[in-house]
Amino acid sequence: MPREAEPSLNEKAFFLQALQDGHRLDGRKFEQFRQLDLQFGDQYGVADVTLGKTRVLAKVSAEVTVPYPDRPFDGIFTITTELSPMASPAFEVNRPTEQEVLLSRLLEKTVRRSNALDTESLCLIAGQKVWSIRVDLHVLSHDGNLMDASCLAVVAALRHFRKPDTSMEGETLTIYTPAEREPVPLSWLHTPLCITFSFYGDEGEMTLVDTTLLEEQLKVSSCTISLNKHGEICQVAKLGGTPVDAVSLVQCASIALQKVKELSTLLDQKLAEDSKRRNKGGLLAELSAENAR
Amino acid sequence: MASHDPEARLSHLQSADGSATFSHAGYTVVGAVNGPIEVQRRDELPEEAVVDVIVRPAAGVGGTRERHLESLLQSTLRQIILINNFPRTLIQVTLQVTVSPENEYVNAKLSQAATNLPILPTLIQTALLALLSAAIPLTATVTAAVLAIVADDGASTIIVDPTAREIQVSRSLHVFAFTSRDELLLNESEGEFTMQEWDNAFATAQRQCCPAPTSDDVDMEGGSQADLKNFTRSTLETKTASDLYWK
Repeated sequence: MPREAEPSLNEKAFFLQALQDGHRLDGRKFEQFRQLDLQFGDQYGVADVTLGKTRVLAKVSAEVTVPYPDRPFDGIFTITTELSPMASPAFEVNRPTEQEVLLSRLLEKTVRRSNALDTESLCLIAGQKVWSIRVDLHVLSHDGNLMDASCLAVVAALRHFRKPDTSMEGETLTIYTPAEREPVPLSWLHTPLCITFSFYGDEGEMTLVDTTLLEEQLKVSSCTISLNKHGEICQVAKLGGTPVDAVSLVQCASIALQKVKELSTLLDQKLAEDSKRRNKGGLLAELSAENAR
Repeated sequence: MASHDPEARLSHLQSADGSATFSHAGYTVVGAVNGPIEVQRRDELPEEAVVDVIVRPAAGVGGTRERHLESLLQSTLRQIILINNFPRTLIQVTLQVTVSPENEYVNAKLSQAATNLPILPTLIQTALLALLSAAIPLTATVTAAVLAIVADDGASTIIVDPTAREIQVSRSLHVFAFTSRDELLLNESEGEFTMQEWDNAFATAQRQCCPAPTSDDVDMEGGSQADLKNFTRSTLETKTASDLYWK
């Protein structure tokens, strides 16, 4: 398989000189995201995030399985990421690159370990039947900042998803098809999102957000901060690279909070638009058999 | 219900050599083609290009179902790509299913060994559009159709582009693909059927995929069925016109 083309020395010198002068190649500010678009599919649990030329699609599916024997009260929640040759010919099928491993690891830490999804609510019969929620992440086009785009897609898809309604009568468990009962949303606790910072310069003194593929290839180190809109940090990952000043990390955290607030607002707004589009004539509330808690 | 009208978008993914999104009859597939690129030493063919097809489902990891589709697609595409022009190279076709129709009356299971034929025409059409977008030389274009034979009270009816529900109640499923020169390229059937039924299905598919080259569009008896052959042509004409337009 061909390797990803590396930027030439000229490109590198030009890019770094431009950064020193305070310019990015596409004319954005250092702390500016590219054009972000979030779309939901016709089916529940499909989110398509376009960030500049990066495009990521997440799809959520649910099925009933047997829980792990050591966790009889918890549902199963998995996030699968696979980079296909569609994103770049350098990615091979069935041979995960380092980037892919880091991506799935980070999503796992951000969404799963921060308890964004209440896995106990996925339990149907303790030790016998639980919901298994699975998120498949498809990278369609890779032009940098996969991390932030993927995290947004996964979170958006999970919040958009509806699982089939169930009921328990004595010992019998009934799972209703979408034709019988309107599906119900997942029990969602908070909305963590990732913001990735890339550092440039000999001591990592320049910081960029939402880097393109070229910018990503030239970084000296990077740091991903996951937090929700209330400013609760779920994880900070800085995997190797040039050491960065503590003060600039604190600055990054405050920029991240501001960005996450913007992204959360966008997400809420898009979800509201989508539910309005689906709820023609205001009949959805009557279809639902779910009780307000 | 998703519309029966086919829709396509070409060359919208930036890192692949060619790409296309195609939706038809409730399915949406994103396809990307890279090629001719370097091939791994062990797969290399001395006199022709290797065609590698990867089909990825919307949910879950690919299994035997996807491998089966891949092998069908690979043998079909090898017939239309001019593989002898590119010895010792690889033409890689990646097809990502993004939407497949859901049956409202059944709770879908991920791992079930479901039927895989209904998606084949959409995959073929997407692969074709992506190949054209990547400017890979082809001998012919290809048009495919899926038909279901539903039996009610002894009489069997043929449904073109059946819905998930119709597939469930059907007796047999047939997929046909024809080249632009009206030659049969692919024929896959499953279920129970007689030779007479197959002949009828074949005739219907031929009418569907190889419409008579009339300039007037009066003869559409079936009404709503899409003419995919002309669709491919007009999509590419629009694309070429917009690419060549001098600003």
